[in-house]
Amino acid sequence: MDQLKEDLKHQIIEQLNLEDVTAADISDDMLLFDANGLALDSIDALEMIVLLEKYHGIQVVNPEEGKSAFLSVNSLAEYIRQKSN
Amino acid sequence: MIKITGYCHITDLLCAVNGKILLQPSPDSEHSWFRQIYNFADIQYPKFHKMDALAQAGVLGVELIRLFAARPMDFQDEGVDLVFANRYASAATDRRFQASYADHMSPSPAIFVYTLPNIITGEIAILKKWYGENTFVVMPEFDPGFFTSYIQRHIARGCEAVIGGWVQIDEENTEVFIFLAEPIPAEPIPAEPIQADDGAVRLGVRELLEIYQQHLS
Repeated sequence: MDQLKEDLKHQIIEQLNLEDVTAADISDDMLLFDANGLALDSIDALEMIVLLEKYHGIQVVNPEEGKSAFLSVNSLAEYIRQKSN
Repeated sequence: MIKITGYCHITDLLCAVNGKILLQPSPDSEHSWFRQIYNFADIQYPKFHKMDALAQAGVLGVELIRLFAARPMDFQDEGVDLVFANRYASAATDRRFQASYADHMSPSPAIFVYTLPNIITGEIAILKKWYGENTFVVMPEFDPGFFTSYIQRHIARGCEAVIGGWVQIDEENTEVFIFLAEPIPAEPIPAEPIQADDGAVRLGVRELLEIYQQHLS
């Protein structure tokens, strides 16, 4: 199990107030902003920016970076690892 | 003639359509009561999980009427008007939003967007792609006269259906009553009972109050 990805799922649930969603409901490659995924929207993108800063100390200053980083838990984890190196 | 062709109740104890109980909450479930209903009805709408309880109740009510009162709801995009009411607007979500910055030192945009009660009409409109007129009214208690008058005026003006109801949810109590009102071709009016075999009820103040009170007092 990839602990960072598991932590991210719990952080998404907490930050976005998805009270009835469990980490098991979110697969690593689920498209977070797709209607068939978690159906997140622009408001949630703000929450994701807050999440990255709050839990990982990363500030998203380039909107283009966020667009690709927020695709899925996989891409978020990859983005965090890149920024941490 | 205008009829209530389908209606749904959700309380803390039960979920019913056209007066018939479909489901009662399972104390052993890991899910909230509304999520249990969502799963029971096999609704597939991921956005549901982000909504506050008022919006979730609206979506559940409309979908339960469609599925279990067997109403196709194939209306024109602008053919449906929505009218909802409750006692305390979005107070429960307002308190959650307040807590989000009191407890976590950062206000939550995801909660903030639900700090208006009329978001329920927006979420139903988005789900069903209905772009007719919508209204949310704050009133001390369910007023069948208000709803009857609203339905009659809007259907007389040409709308195909009115969906609305009473959606009062707070930390202690769930009172949800949602109805679908449609004009039905004239037919002989039976003296009794007011409810036909298909569950439809002819619109009137007394009749609306009567079906509201089937599971709410």
